[in-house]
Amino acid sequence: MSRNHGSSTRRLLEAARYHGFGIAAALLFLAPLVWSVLVSFKPSIEARQPPLPPWPVGGFSVQSYENLAQYGSGIWTYAGNSLAVSAATVAASVLVSLLAGYGFSRFQFPLKNVLFVLIISTVMIPFQSILTPLFLILTKLGLQNTLTGIVLVYVTLQLPFSTFMMRNAFDAVPREIEDAARVDGASVFAVLYRIMLPLVLPGVATVAIFAFLASWNEFLAALILLTDQKKYTLPVLMAAVRSGQFGTIDWGAVQSGVTLMMAPCLALFLLLQRYYIRGLTAGAVK
Amino acid sequence: MMGAAQEKAKIELRDVCKTFGSVDVIHSLDLTIEGGEFVVFVGPSGCGKSTLLRMIAGLEDVSSGDIFIAGRDVTDLDPSKRGIAMVFQSYALYPHMSVRQNLAFGLEMAKTPADEIARQVNAAAEILKIGPLLDRRPGQLSGGQRQRVAIGRAIVRKPLAFLFDEPLSNLDAELRVSMRIEISRLHRELGNTMIYVTHDQTEAMTLADRIVVLRDGRIEQVGTPRQVYEDPNNLFVAGFIGSPRMNIVDAVCLAGDRIGVADAVIPLPRPGPAAAPGEAVKLGIRPEHLRLGAPKESALRAHVDFSEYLGSTRYLYCNLQSGESITVEQRDGTDFLSGEEVWLNCDAECLRVFSPSGERLRTGRPERTATA
Repeated sequence: MSRNHGSSTRRLLEAARYHGFGIAAALLFLAPLVWSVLVSFKPSIEARQPPLPPWPVGGFSVQSYENLAQYGSGIWTYAGNSLAVSAATVAASVLVSLLAGYGFSRFQFPLKNVLFVLIISTVMIPFQSILTPLFLILTKLGLQNTLTGIVLVYVTLQLPFSTFMMRNAFDAVPREIEDAARVDGASVFAVLYRIMLPLVLPGVATVAIFAFLASWNEFLAALILLTDQKKYTLPVLMAAVRSGQFGTIDWGAVQSGVTLMMAPCLALFLLLQRYYIRGLTAGAVK
Repeated sequence: MMGAAQEKAKIELRDVCKTFGSVDVIHSLDLTIEGGEFVVFVGPSGCGKSTLLRMIAGLEDVSSGDIFIAGRDVTDLDPSKRGIAMVFQSYALYPHMSVRQNLAFGLEMAKTPADEIARQVNAAAEILKIGPLLDRRPGQLSGGQRQRVAIGRAIVRKPLAFLFDEPLSNLDAELRVSMRIEISRLHRELGNTMIYVTHDQTEAMTLADRIVVLRDGRIEQVGTPRQVYEDPNNLFVAGFIGSPRMNIVDAVCLAGDRIGVADAVIPLPRPGPAAAPGEAVKLGIRPEHLRLGAPKESALRAHVDFSEYLGSTRYLYCNLQSGESITVEQRDGTDFLSGEEVWLNCDAECLRVFSPSGERLRTGRPERTATA
């Protein structure tokens, strides 16, 4: 009886320690997010004061959000730009990498490995170093200062990782499943759509999350390739919003922008996290 | 075509070759499988039996030659258009679909009406007794149940022929026996042409109408289980079929249809094999054909190395005077000590003579076919 009692106390202590550490770590990671959200609800003047306490002392205010909303062509234009660019990047990345991954995983063709290594090796080129040629090429194509142009750039930058990811995902699906579907009378596209796609969904989710986060947060390429203020995406807008009157920084507007920008990322990640973890480990252990 | 329920499709391979790069996997192979026949491809691993099956299924390209199914040249046809169904070693069920969806997939691909699909799926589930499992996912099934589903997926489509690629190798011994009987029953009920690949000779012997013994991409022998067991064409087939293996010992042909083995002289059936007196040959004797008896000139003297007691039988592993080892199957329940001397007799009809290169040297008259 007493031994039982002792072991249950020990288990309780262990659980407390385990959960205590977990909660502390979670707080550490959540603190900056919460801080940003709280500051965004301070009135503009208070937001400029030293940051302690982090919560609004003079009552909650949406003044920063109003400032942000009225900036330039209005926040919805920029949010719309960002959303359109991200959605198109996600769609194009998923489509291209799905087909490319399937091809690299399942079909035999000349120079297959050379081609694959070539695609992967483009990760080694710092993208800043090719901005100038990119700018010139886009200008030649008449795509400079267009959202289509910036989507093409983002998809290109995402492609090596996405293709690699999808090839691993397809490699992890036993070949016999595909053989069985082919014997069952499925065409190549039916096999891909009905059988393979559901099985590589974790990979697709991972590719989608990465493409979304990368294009949603990307700043440098957008700053350089988009010159018309109406075409700005949110990160570029944030840089513009930052500068308040007389060179001061409007922290309230910045934090409200940050809050606005991280909301979709959080939502998407929470929605797809189950697949995301499985996708990253796919192909690691067969 | 696929709707033709009980059509018994003849399958013909004509001069079929397969090369992977510079490696020849299948060498110019001819084979005709009659409609409704149950044929088993058997051979050691790497002999090309699975490759051959996949070529018939259309999952591997044919390097040269032609394949006909039900009189139609399918050599360049997609697997989906060949009207065959295949059961894989790893079951290869679609993990994201329920059992019902797994069974229905092939019919959906053939654009069968929904009510017809439901009817077929239920009928197949009835035959294989998997009715209660229809709404489960493959991950929730045991190995035996998965294999039933895999077979069910093959039978719902009413194919021209069934191809089985080592379907029982992932099951435990007991389940393997019961599934083997079930596959046999299925063949009796459906009557379709079936091709079955295995390296397990028990499966081959029990299931097959005809066995195709393969080695290194070549057919060594085609025949009924009895033919390949009792009348092997060469040393390879003799050694591969049968467990424990056929004893192969060096021997010399002597005048008067006799053969010298170690220090014994054993009579051969008359007329003897096509070998000149004095010619070195290989002699094959099945372990169950060796009997223990009294010392005499025609008996092989051997010493027991060790003996294995298996209940109904006992295997004696003996050494001949020449140092060659020989296995004896013994059924009278006597115990033997290691080192004990035994004299082994064998009927002339049970001896199989091979040339040193492994070819069978047949006698002029039919040999005894029933096991002693």
